[in-house]
Amino acid sequence: MTMLNELAAELIGMFVGEKRLTVAVLTIVAVAGSLVNFTDLNSLVGGALLLFGCLVLLIENLCRSARAGVS
Amino acid sequence: MTWSTAAPALTAAFLASLVEVVEAFTIVLAVATLRGWRPAALGTTAGLAVLAGIVLLLGPLLDRIPITSLQLAIGILLLLFGMGWLRKASLRAAGIIPLHDEDAIFATEAAALSDEARRRQQSLGWAAGITALKAVLLEGLEVVFIVIAVGAGRGLLVPASVGALAACALVLAIGAVVHRPLSRVPENLLKFGVGVMLSAFGVFWTGEGLGIAWPGQDAALLLFAALFLGAGLIGSFLARKLRVEFA
Repeated sequence: MTMLNELAAELIGMFVGEKRLTVAVLTIVAVAGSLVNFTDLNSLVGGALLLFGCLVLLIENLCRSARAGVS
Repeated sequence: MTWSTAAPALTAAFLASLVEVVEAFTIVLAVATLRGWRPAALGTTAGLAVLAGIVLLLGPLLDRIPITSLQLAIGILLLLFGMGWLRKASLRAAGIIPLHDEDAIFATEAAALSDEARRRQQSLGWAAGITALKAVLLEGLEVVFIVIAVGAGRGLLVPASVGALAACALVLAIGAVVHRPLSRVPENLLKFGVGVMLSAFGVFWTGEGLGIAWPGQDAALLLFAALFLGAGLIGSFLARKLRVEFA
């Protein structure tokens, strides 16, 4: 059971390294998906939001981690 | 399949697997040094067998999933995984968190096994084998995910697998010669590069899964990788500056 628990923890840890970043990325994907599938906007608007949203999130997360001094 | 399509998948799988295999090798080497090659080899073989079982079980299931759903699911997972690696590598480069140290990991694993030896003399061979199995299984899971993730969306499982196997062969060959932890591998640089590539793949496939037609098709991957590289470098630079200010 211990090894199964470790495997499960490893699998979850692969994708949820930092909860705030994970939630923010999933939110961006959901908003971009909504723009592409439920509005008349060009799909590239959703694409741009997805791409630049992730880039901004990464930089913001690094700065916040540095201020907090945590991993 | 052309070389220009296969090369990014092969390279990403090779570099990512290199990082993971080096980590697994360090622990297997610690087991072998303390308890001999028999439990290390048995644990490694058992770990590889479990991984092969997972691949054989999951592989055929992938063919049954519609390609857009597969691209979306794998794209999101790649995005989370890649950005996680890029974030960690950037923080390590900025000095916010310590660098991965294979020598320290080797010493920790060796100490843990020696401690186990003092407590449970009889079952140490078993414990050593389990340690090797766990290392191969846990690190191997990431390799399997990366191979499936960069390969499945475009029918590139073969080049991605070749990349991963080449990484295994390279680490084993170097490890067999030097017989010590591969601490000189620039792990953080590799992790940074792989984080950039996987994040770019993640955005690309998530977008395709959502129905976005990227201009330039596959060539867009290069632009995405360049942008993530820039973001990682800028983020790392700002993090280093902030660390100094807040220290």
